[in-house]
Amino acid sequence: MNNLNCSGCGVGGGMSDVVLECVMPYIHDPRDRDAVSLVCRRWYELDAITRRHVTIALCYSTSPDRLQRRFKHLESLKMKGKPRAAMFFNLIPEDWGGFVTPWVNEIAESFNCLKSLHFRRMIVKDSDLELLASSRGRVLEVLKLDKCSGFSTDGLSHIGRSCRQLRTLFLEESGIAEKDGDWLHELATNNTVLQTLNFYMTDLTKVRLEDLELLAKNCRSLVSLKISDFELLELVGFFRSASAIEEFCGGSFNEPDQPGKYAAVIFPPKLCRLGLTYMEKNVMSIVFPFASLLKKLDLLYVLLGTEDHCVLVQRCPNLEVLETRNVIGDRGLEALAQSCKRLKRLRIERGADEQEMEDVDGRVSQRGLIALAQGCLEIEYIAVYVSDITNAALEHLGAYSKNLNDFRLVLLDQEHMITDLPLDNGVRALLSGCEKLQRFGLYLRPGGLSDVGLGYIGQYSRHVRWMILGSVGESDEGLLAFSTGCPSLQKLEMRACCFTESALARAALQLTSLRYLWVHGYRETSTGHRDLLTMVRPFWNIELIPSRKVPTVNNAGQNVFDDNPAHILAYYSLAGPRTDFPDTVKPLDPAKVVAA
Amino acid sequence: MSRVAAVELDFFAMGKENKSSPSKPKFLNRQRSFRDIQSAISKINPELLKSVIASGSAAKKTTPENGNQFSNKSFPVPCTPKQEQPSFTALPLYSPLPRPSSEILPETAPLTIFYNGTVAVFNVPRDKAENILKLAEKGISMTSAELMTDLKTDQQQLFETLDEDLPIARRKSLQRFLEKRKGRLTSVSPYVFNAGRP
Repeated sequence: MNNLNCSGCGVGGGMSDVVLECVMPYIHDPRDRDAVSLVCRRWYELDAITRRHVTIALCYSTSPDRLQRRFKHLESLKMKGKPRAAMFFNLIPEDWGGFVTPWVNEIAESFNCLKSLHFRRMIVKDSDLELLASSRGRVLEVLKLDKCSGFSTDGLSHIGRSCRQLRTLFLEESGIAEKDGDWLHELATNNTVLQTLNFYMTDLTKVRLEDLELLAKNCRSLVSLKISDFELLELVGFFRSASAIEEFCGGSFNEPDQPGKYAAVIFPPKLCRLGLTYMEKNVMSIVFPFASLLKKLDLLYVLLGTEDHCVLVQRCPNLEVLETRNVIGDRGLEALAQSCKRLKRLRIERGADEQEMEDVDGRVSQRGLIALAQGCLEIEYIAVYVSDITNAALEHLGAYSKNLNDFRLVLLDQEHMITDLPLDNGVRALLSGCEKLQRFGLYLRPGGLSDVGLGYIGQYSRHVRWMILGSVGESDEGLLAFSTGCPSLQKLEMRACCFTESALARAALQLTSLRYLWVHGYRETSTGHRDLLTMVRPFWNIELIPSRKVPTVNNAGQNVFDDNPAHILAYYSLAGPRTDFPDTVKPLDPAKVVAA
Repeated sequence: MSRVAAVELDFFAMGKENKSSPSKPKFLNRQRSFRDIQSAISKINPELLKSVIASGSAAKKTTPENGNQFSNKSFPVPCTPKQEQPSFTALPLYSPLPRPSSEILPETAPLTIFYNGTVAVFNVPRDKAENILKLAEKGISMTSAELMTDLKTDQQQLFETLDEDLPIARRKSLQRFLEKRKGRLTSVSPYVFNAGRP
């Protein structure tokens, strides 16, 4: 580290500390901040004092102590624990790790300026929430427990009671043990500044209507509310009260054979982001009066068919974000391409596999993607499950979707024959055409992408920082060609691939920016993971979840045990190996592997 | 000749003209005129037939140099019915991935193909025979790409094993919604999804 006095370094005089302290707070981008901190010791210190937000992409890559020593005055912290695969059933053991306890303990002691906390895919206990409430309750403004688990409504009661400055309480998709609805009562009675409340997809059923209405009355700044299932007819009073609301998701339609009743639901005037659970075609018209105002529409949990989707999106010319299932079909995408010219984000999830549960038209293919590319030129994010695909579709995206920064495509295994495989040329065209692409996902099947195609990904993905690849390539050669490219790739996830441990290890060493690797399903060699030793190096933690049998329910409804292949997880860490492994997760110990 | 039961495959329904054929194939009883057959032949992609034959004769390996002969030519039909030895060995065979020596070849049985008055017999394992039969069942007008994906190579078989162990996962939130929806169909109302609704 350069020990020169900073006002002496640099060309002709340099900058005084006062000037620097004024300028620093305006630098927000973490990569800029990183660069700033490397200039000299004084700049490093100034960055450390003035840095407002830190994101720790994997909680095990550092320690609470290290964070505290460097960034004492942190105001906002975000961190993630479990691998992304935890959002699917039975892939990651529930007790895998990512405990917030050591972090909350440090926050309670040292981080006096911390106002915003975001934990994603981590294990949170009621005792953690109680400690947080008692130590930081007075200043905490934002608390996000995002896809977390391990706590109950008792922990939330502590938060509700003590965090009177809370602007945002976000609990979406968390696994919460529900004891009662008191937590919401605590929140509604103690808070007057709440702007965002989200307990969407949490299965909390004991929430009381009077507490929701109290919240609407007390928190006049409430702008966004996303709740679990709750009969919409009961919310008529709430909607009348909560006049500032711009976003609402959740609710339920429990009287679908009496659609006339729902005409009584008058939505707040500024509502522009909406998702109504179990909405059916015969009540859909309640959104028509303000459909032209809608910027975001969540149709993931509705009961609409393809035609219904067409009718609805045609009324939403200002739509910027759409989330739905593949029931939207190619026809729906064509309607979208025609009507929603401002569309920025599109997420199409996978619907039911059983034919009778979804519309026969409910399949997305190259036809829909081509229409989308040509019609929605502002698109930035596409995540889609397709039933069929061609190179031409990807070529169209490469030609038209110049703002695309996040693209994920999964090829479903419904159809035996796919129109146009392998996708080598299409992938190349998409990657070279979409220059802003930073996140890329491709999940295919055998024959979907050759080794040459995999090499193209390496060659043409200059700015991509995250990838998930499933069932791609043909052999180790493909992976090795891939890994000579991808200059920006920091995080790589792979599934159902045919590569050997030896190739995986070599690829990890070759990818120059790689700091996180997760692999599930690969060609296991029979030598006890010996080949993984190739990638042993300082600061590189290697963990294994050995193959195991996982209980699940098959199509016939029987309880069976599925074979779950081994996982490899490897990541850079300044904190050394974990000390909190559950039984299912084993660190790779080179000494033991060699001795075996 | 082995006594193992032969699987007879009459690609172009020539069986009715060849009275000496011992048993009729179960599923190829299409009545086709000679003109149909000729036009069908011209539609066959040489690459595809090459693969069909190659997969059936896995034991035979030829050098890859032969493989390029066919890229621009039409399918060379052996034109004299009297030819005793079918000149199939002149067709370029793509050599499959070399098998590890430890792998035991699965049990094979003869597969007899009658074509334009010529007969070819291959020793194929059961799964390859089924593949070839499947192809014939589907008809001749498929593109070679479709057929390429149909044929299993070592690599693909490995993939498929992995695929069976690793079906594409579904998000928990969506899984729960789909299960709840099933429950609703029985309890809340007779919601029957009908695509034909006006």
